[in-house]
Amino acid sequence: MISIPINILLVDDEKDFVEMLSLRLTEKKESVFLANNGKECLEIIEKESIDVIILDLKMPGMDGIQTLKKIKAKSPLIEVIMLTGHGTAETAVDGMKLGAFDYLLKPCDFDTLVQKLNAARKRKEDQEERIRQAEAKLLLRRSGVI
Amino acid sequence: MESSKLLIVDDEENFRNAIVRRLKKRGHALIEADCAESALMSMAKESIDVIVSDIKMPGMDGLSLLAQIKSQYPDCEVILLTGHANATDGVSGIKQGAFDYLSKPISLDHLINKINHAREKISRRKAEEQEALFKESIKHKMIATERLASLGTLSAGVAHEINNPLAIINEACGWMQTILASDQMKSIPRKNDLDKALSKIETSIVRARNITHHLLQFSRKPDNIISDVNMDLLITETIQFLSKELEKKNIHISVQNQSNPVVIGSDPSQIRQVLLNLLTNAIHASFPDEFIEIFISYKKNGVCLEIKDYGEGIPPENLNTVFEPFFTTKAPGEGTGLGLFVIKGIVENLKGTISLTSQLGRGTQFSIYFPCLYQKE
Repeated sequence: MISIPINILLVDDEKDFVEMLSLRLTEKKESVFLANNGKECLEIIEKESIDVIILDLKMPGMDGIQTLKKIKAKSPLIEVIMLTGHGTAETAVDGMKLGAFDYLLKPCDFDTLVQKLNAARKRKEDQEERIRQAEAKLLLRRSGVI
Repeated sequence: MESSKLLIVDDEENFRNAIVRRLKKRGHALIEADCAESALMSMAKESIDVIVSDIKMPGMDGLSLLAQIKSQYPDCEVILLTGHANATDGVSGIKQGAFDYLSKPISLDHLINKINHAREKISRRKAEEQEALFKESIKHKMIATERLASLGTLSAGVAHEINNPLAIINEACGWMQTILASDQMKSIPRKNDLDKALSKIETSIVRARNITHHLLQFSRKPDNIISDVNMDLLITETIQFLSKELEKKNIHISVQNQSNPVVIGSDPSQIRQVLLNLLTNAIHASFPDEFIEIFISYKKNGVCLEIKDYGEGIPPENLNTVFEPFFTTKAPGEGTGLGLFVIKGIVENLKGTISLTSQLGRGTQFSIYFPCLYQKE
């Protein structure tokens, strides 16, 4: 079965981490974009069609939660999986209340990460599908078919 | 103090009888002795706090008796009685540790006064000793708390600093494994060796990660989310969670409830973690086909748990260290040595207590108490 790659955006100030994880995901035939801070992340989601963002919570400058708020304000349909390296599970839970899909503790188990990526993409697709159907209904109603 | 008696030592029977009779009339509990030797025998049998002794006695004299008492019963006070021309004996008695001396003939009121003063001195000294002990224990606790606090800060820092490079190693290793598993790499030379090395790296990452995650758990002071705790249910859930491990060793857990369940307020998820950890330990310690017993008893304002296994037990020299961080008897890589340390932190965070007794080869019993944390109305 050919799987359609997930467009993933990795956001972390640890350049080596971003690079290694992206190589690994690319090896698994996903399509990966990289950002080293919140600002870059917001620039990329403007230009690219991103499905899922893997977002480190602890970054200098704009931190994970601030970035998350801006992502959700700009593109609420993009799913966000948060990464935390220092036990701030509370912050991660706060993030989920702000609309993040889930969180993982660093270093994370790759299989779990892949599972969550797939689940996040599915939620995004389901949501988009519902929107399409709602739009279609709306069009039909407007054009007087129903 | 009231149960301790006076001891009157004098070889002159008439004098002794007179004092004893009059002191008894005033309500003093006392014992008499006609010589130093019999005085020492009485002291071995009875609880005595103040000794009134004549100095001039045949056989062992009052001063030798004083020396004996001071070396054997340092908590006692001695009042010496001297002949009226013999103040020097009394003075040398005080130098040797007597409370005071009185010259014969003595006034009873004077004597009673001295006895009371001696008793005050004893109780003052006891209070001071207790205070010193208390201060010492507080000091110990403070040192321990400080150490833990700095360990908490340190561990959070270490965990953060280690987790990030660890995550990089983890992804790099996973990447290499993925590459090696691809078709183009199928027939490279010594592929097995590379696979083997990578899998060692992978398991070592997991091992290091377990340590950092445990440390983070400790350093993170979770906000207690207080709600109704149904201890019976929590235990049932935990046992279910561990059912595979239990089956593997064919271990049965019997839960005995010694009183009617009372709902207490505490943090169920933290208690669940305590149960999970203690039961896992108990399973590891148990021999196959054994029992683990859990006793629940509800108190007026909390719940007591006892978790008893019949496993290996803990050697006495380790009893004091099991709660310390990084203490483990498991093989390297199997235990982080943080389990009980974290558990103790959780229990104390929930204002509870945890203690254990163990006999080598007979098993270990943990007693935990969780108080109800609902504010009293």
